[in-house]
Amino acid sequence: MNIVEALTKIKKTLSQALELAVILLLTVLVLDVIWGVISRYVGRLAVVLAERGWQVWSFIPRGQSQWTEEVATNLLVWVSLLGASVAFGTRSHLGVDYFVEKFDEPARRLIELIVQIIIGFFAISAMIIGGGILVWQTLKTGQTLPAMKILKGYMYLSVPISGAFILLFAAERIVEVLSGKPLEKSTESID
Amino acid sequence: METQVLILVVSFVILLIMDVPVAVCIGISTMLTIYSVGTVETGYMMAQRISTGIESFTLLAIPFFILSGNLMGEGGMARRLVYFAAAAVGWCKGGLGYVNTLTCMMFGSISGSAGAAVSSVGGFMIPEMNKQGYGRAFNVAVTTTAATTGLLIPPSNIMIVYAVVAGNVSVAALFMAGVLPGILVGLAIMVVSGIISIRRNYGIPEKTSAKRIILTFLSALPSLLLIFIIIGGILGGVFSPTEASAISVVYAFLLAVFIYKEVKFASLPRILLASGKTTAIVMLLIGCSQAMSWILTYENIPQTVSEALMSMSSNKYVILVIINLILLAVGTFMDMTPAVLIFTPIFLPVVMKLGMHPIHFGIIIIANLCIGLCTPPVGTVLFIGCGIGKISIAKATGPLIPFYIGMFAALMVITYWPALSIWLPNLLNLL
Repeated sequence: MNIVEALTKIKKTLSQALELAVILLLTVLVLDVIWGVISRYVGRLAVVLAERGWQVWSFIPRGQSQWTEEVATNLLVWVSLLGASVAFGTRSHLGVDYFVEKFDEPARRLIELIVQIIIGFFAISAMIIGGGILVWQTLKTGQTLPAMKILKGYMYLSVPISGAFILLFAAERIVEVLSGKPLEKSTESID
Repeated sequence: METQVLILVVSFVILLIMDVPVAVCIGISTMLTIYSVGTVETGYMMAQRISTGIESFTLLAIPFFILSGNLMGEGGMARRLVYFAAAAVGWCKGGLGYVNTLTCMMFGSISGSAGAAVSSVGGFMIPEMNKQGYGRAFNVAVTTTAATTGLLIPPSNIMIVYAVVAGNVSVAALFMAGVLPGILVGLAIMVVSGIISIRRNYGIPEKTSAKRIILTFLSALPSLLLIFIIIGGILGGVFSPTEASAISVVYAFLLAVFIYKEVKFASLPRILLASGKTTAIVMLLIGCSQAMSWILTYENIPQTVSEALMSMSSNKYVILVIINLILLAVGTFMDMTPAVLIFTPIFLPVVMKLGMHPIHFGIIIIANLCIGLCTPPVGTVLFIGCGIGKISIAKATGPLIPFYIGMFAALMVITYWPALSIWLPNLLNLL
C-alpha cells in the first residue's frame, strides 16, 4: 500500500469518527436546550407546589437548571470546531472560486497546493500553537466552569484538537493533488 | 496605521482571489495585521477570539434553525404550502408566479434559509410551471429571487449573525423589523412576475372554491403554526430566540417524522451531519470575524472609513447610496454571511453617526445582500435554482434583470423609509 492510499484510508476513518461525534454532540445540544426550557416551567411549578405543602420528587429542579446554558455554549464550541474540521475534509468551506476557475488545470493544481499550505499554516499557528497557549494559560488561572465544575482550560482543548485534524486533512489533500488526482469542486449554500 | 490597513486589505484580497476559504482569509490577514502591530501574541489572540466568539447563547439559535430548516426541507412542508397558495392565488392570470412567491415567503419564513426554500419550493414549483408553459428561465428567476424573502421574514439566521456582530442588538426586535420589508420585497417580485406573465400570456387560470382554500389551509396549518409558536413565544416572553429555535427543531421533527411521515429515522443522522457541517462553516466564519473586528477597532479603522466617507459627502442620503452600491458590488461575488460579518463592523459606526438605528441598518444590509445571492458570478441561491431548473446560469441572467430592478426598488424604499423597519418593533415595545 502506498502513502496516498494509506493517508486516504486514515482520513476516511478519522472523518467518520468526527462525523459521528458531530451528530451525537448536536443531538445532545438540542436535548440540553429543550431541557432548559422545560426545567424552567416544571421548576416553577415544583416551587409553587412545594410551597403548598406537596411532596415533590427531589430530582425535579427548583427553578431553571443552572447547567443547561453552560453545557450548551461549550458544546456549541466543540460542535463548531469539530464540524469545521469535517468541512475542511470535504472542502465545503465557502470560498470565491470565480477567479481560479479561469485558469487551466496545471495552474489550478499549483494554486490548490498553495491554498492547502496556507490552511495548514493557519491550523498550526492559530489553532495548534495559539490554541495550545490558550489551553495552557486558562488552565494556569485555575478558572472553572461553575455548574459543571470542570477546569475551563479543558473546554478550549477543542481548538488545538480541531487544528490537528485540519492540518492532517490539508496534508492529505496536498498528497492527493501531487499524486495527480482530478480536481473536483463542491458547492454548498449556507444562507 | 496606514501600513496595517494596507496589510489587512491586500492580504485579504489576494487570499480571497486564490479561493482560500473565506474564514481562513479573514484569519490569516487578521493574524498578519496583529503580528505587524507587534504588541500582542498573535496565535493566542486568534485562538481566544475564535473560541470566545463562538461561545454565545445567542449564536446557539443558528444550529437549531439550520436543523429545523433541513427537517422541513425534507418533511413535506413545502408541498402543503404550495397547495394552499395555489388555492388562494392560483386563479388569476400568471397565478403560479404568485403561488411560487407566496410559498417561498411562507417557507422561507419557517425555515429561515433561502437555500432550503429554493430547493424545496423550487423542486416542486419549477417543474409544475414548466409543464404549464411558463418560460423555464422565468420560473428559475421567480423562485430564486422569491426564496431570499425568507431571510427578511422572521425567524432568520442571518439576523442572528448580524445581531451578534452589531453587538447589543435585540434579536426579537430585528425579527419584527424584517416583517414588513420582507413582505415589500415579496410584493415587488409578485408585481414584476405579474407584469411579465400578463405580457407573455402565461398560465391557465385554475378554478378555486372557498372549500378548497379552507381544506388546503388546514393541511398547511401545522407548518404555518410554527411561525406563530416561534414569534408568539418570543414576543410573549415565553422563551428566548435561542430557546424558540430549539422548540422549532422539536416541532419540525415531530411534524416531519410522525405527522407528515416524510422523514425516516434512518435519514436523521444524515440530516444532523449536514446541519452540523453548515453550522460549523458559519461558526468558524463568525469566530475568525470576531478576531478581525477586534483588530479593526484596535486600529480605529471604522473611524477612518467613516471620515473618508464623510469627506466625500456630508449628505446622509449620498452616503447611504455609496454604502448600498459597495454592498451590491460585494454581494455579487461574496456569500451573505461573510459579507455581513466583514462589513457590519466597518459601516455600522458610520451610519450610526448619521443617526440611523442599528436595527434599520441590519435590515438594509440583509435586503441588499439578498440581491447578491441571485447574481452571477457567485450567487449560491441562483446556483441551486439553476440546478433545479436545469438551465445554465447565463440563460437565467437575462430574465432575472426585471426582478433585480424590482428588488432594488424595494431596497431603496427600505433604505429611505426607516419607519417601514422600525414601526413594528417600536409598536411592540422591543426598541
